[in-house]
Amino acid sequence: MKDHFKERNTRDYHQKQLFSKEELEARESLCVHEQPPFCSAACPMKLDVREFMAKMAARKFTEARAMLERISPFPEILAHGCHHPCEAACRRGEAGESIDIAGLERAAMFLGAPRKGKGLLKFRKKKKAAVFGTELFTLLVAAQLADKSYPVEFYVEAEDADALLRLCAPFLPPEAMAREMARLGRMDVNIFYGSPVTPAFVEEKRKGFELLCAAGYLVQEAPDPVTLLGEDGILCAPPASEDDGMGECLRVFYDARRASVSADRLAQGLDPSTMRGEEGTVTSRLYTDLSQTASSFRIPLPGEEAEGYGEAASREASRCIQCACEECLKGCVYLRHFSKFPRILTREIYNNAGIIMGDHMMNKPMNSCSLCGQCKVTCPNGYDMGEICRLARENMVDTGKMSLAVHEFALQDMLFSNTEAFLSCVPLGREEPCRYVFFPGCQAGAVAPEAVIRAYRDISGRLEGGVALMLGCCGAIAKWAGRREMFAEQKEFLRQELRKLGNPVILAACPTCKKTMEEEGLGRVKGVWELLLGIGLPGEAASEGGEAVLHDACGARNDAGMREDVRRIARELGFTLLPAEWTGDKTSCCGYGGLVSYTNRDVAAKMAEECRKEFPEAPYITYCMACRDRLARQGAQSMHLLELLYAAPAGEPPDISEKRKNRLLLKERVLREFCGEELMPEEMGFAGEITEEARRQIDDRMILDTDVWKVMKHYRETGEAILDQKTGLLTACRRIGNVTFWVKFTEEENGYTVRGAYSHRMTVQTR
Amino acid sequence: MAEKKNYYTIETDGSLICQKCGVPLEKSNAVFSYLENAFPVELPVCPKCGFVYVPEELAMGKVLSVEKVLEDK
Repeated sequence: MKDHFKERNTRDYHQKQLFSKEELEARESLCVHEQPPFCSAACPMKLDVREFMAKMAARKFTEARAMLERISPFPEILAHGCHHPCEAACRRGEAGESIDIAGLERAAMFLGAPRKGKGLLKFRKKKKAAVFGTELFTLLVAAQLADKSYPVEFYVEAEDADALLRLCAPFLPPEAMAREMARLGRMDVNIFYGSPVTPAFVEEKRKGFELLCAAGYLVQEAPDPVTLLGEDGILCAPPASEDDGMGECLRVFYDARRASVSADRLAQGLDPSTMRGEEGTVTSRLYTDLSQTASSFRIPLPGEEAEGYGEAASREASRCIQCACEECLKGCVYLRHFSKFPRILTREIYNNAGIIMGDHMMNKPMNSCSLCGQCKVTCPNGYDMGEICRLARENMVDTGKMSLAVHEFALQDMLFSNTEAFLSCVPLGREEPCRYVFFPGCQAGAVAPEAVIRAYRDISGRLEGGVALMLGCCGAIAKWAGRREMFAEQKEFLRQELRKLGNPVILAACPTCKKTMEEEGLGRVKGVWELLLGIGLPGEAASEGGEAVLHDACGARNDAGMREDVRRIARELGFTLLPAEWTGDKTSCCGYGGLVSYTNRDVAAKMAEECRKEFPEAPYITYCMACRDRLARQGAQSMHLLELLYAAPAGEPPDISEKRKNRLLLKERVLREFCGEELMPEEMGFAGEITEEARRQIDDRMILDTDVWKVMKHYRETGEAILDQKTGLLTACRRIGNVTFWVKFTEEENGYTVRGAYSHRMTVQTR
Repeated sequence: MAEKKNYYTIETDGSLICQKCGVPLEKSNAVFSYLENAFPVELPVCPKCGFVYVPEELAMGKVLSVEKVLEDK
């Protein structure tokens, strides 16, 4: 068998792409968080309406006004002329009335302070522009080119600014007209009023200008539909097209913006059709959850001079629901902890896998996901971050970049379950192969051994056809750790053991075991809950009942049958189940899944906390022993169904050493009671005890008491230790596998008292 | 050979005694290795049997943090 615990070399420069480019893009595209809100998607001027509304709601009117001034040279003309397709797209409209975006734009222009100063010093460009004709399009192009620092000459028939604006924007109310007139006056545009603008005039004047723009009535042929550049090198508005939903005024603003982009390309000597970016409206794939949105209606905005204009505008803007898809974050501690949406996280994990030399900054995040599959259910597009994290772990293992330290303890624990603590047995005297085998799962034996033995006693006594027992691990730990080879080995081991028993029906008590064994085709698997409902609950089943939350296991996310079975049992036991939202296929993981409790204890603790958030005071019923353990560790009163069914409460959660001891003791008891075999526990050969404080410390440092005793045994054999005269403590050490353990102790007449322990993975020697 | 750089030094004051040899530990050259990376250090070492002592503060502090950095390489 391969040595899976050989430390790697950081100078092994292997690298394997996590996904093909196509697969990466396909996966990423499922995340719609960065899709624009529907209002912005409908705006060809690309106003970030959501941000605008946030500013308005916060009464940051000046900042909101600046946003409008950035997208157009005459924001008031736009605010009054645009017929606001954004309002029709506004999702608020599905819960009451859409936001009064038009009204709020006008409010921003009135309530916000104008920009101070002249902005950045701009150098005048060398290419000169000439704009001909009186229409909104030419006015806007002239203004935009001036803003881009081109020297602009603007020839219009209108006699003065007032006439020009009246012709271009007849819809503008007088106050707004006056303000836009002042704005025009401040622009760096050389306007020639009263010019006799005709095609001949254009021909005559165009000499000496590199950039030309003319009103539609001055040109013969329609320009290119994208660049708006005509054959004659003159930019002009395209003929009015069929209604594209924009409305006339907005369409002209959009055309003017496109024309000025073309002007820039021409000035740079480029083909105007290049590098234009995404123009116009887009279709947004954003998902907006409206289920929690209460219906509301527009707040009337008073006139400009009226009191309370700002207040009303702010309140109206507050009605914006700030459309954003955050479905995955709502129930997932992991994503919230790293504050990243799945698309970004996927890209960073993908890049992480590509690093040949250097720090793999995303190792910790990819190892902190519980792989529980909740995001796949909550995401409207089924984004499966768990699968990505698992594949990334496998990738890192394959390329030798996964640190052994991350999962070694859990993997050793799995091997312990399937070697020293493993048991496959049939009841004494049974000649025929058993029809069933009870498979309680590694955590059941570790946390509640009494419940396991009672369950086995009951089931084997009541079921026809014989029931064997198998104490071991299904291999999920290796799968979660991304160790495919180890997983395959464990699977093969179980397959052979099951074959030796004659391939009985597996009665799984753990949802993850059931899922894993089913997925891997290890045999016919039946949930023990289904069986118990079939043959009737055991006689000792008793509980005081009362209100409780039934916490669903992530292993049962796709197993509606099992979830229904456990609910029936809980009700039969007299419990009233509290209505939780994060339950069923949306359940949150307790922090054991994906080995998070080993790799990122903070996140794991938050995960267990999250499971309790809806009913922090209520007792919890679980049907996964890992959930039971983690919830209890977090302070909840949690009970596994086996404990309730067999009146065998397991009490306080065991520490890591007790979890191992419990499995060994369970094996001994089963062999004694059901097989008539007596296992002789290994004698230590010396007396020793661990102080309470030291016990807490070693548990926190993931040091097993068996490791402590191995160090002490080594000390007895070699006499190697250091005496610290200041503290009077002796310190001995021993290298076990990849870890050096140090034990601080005192030596008394009747044995040793262990007062502390620590470890490190580095080796140390003299030089 | 020229004196090499030391990443870490622990001074000894004679209070640490090798239980086996009965002599005080002395500051001496040692090397930490992890994932094929080596770090020369000066640690308390028994002059007789060569037992190298890694104090708890060092193991749970500097050594742990360097291990974590290397593990992500």
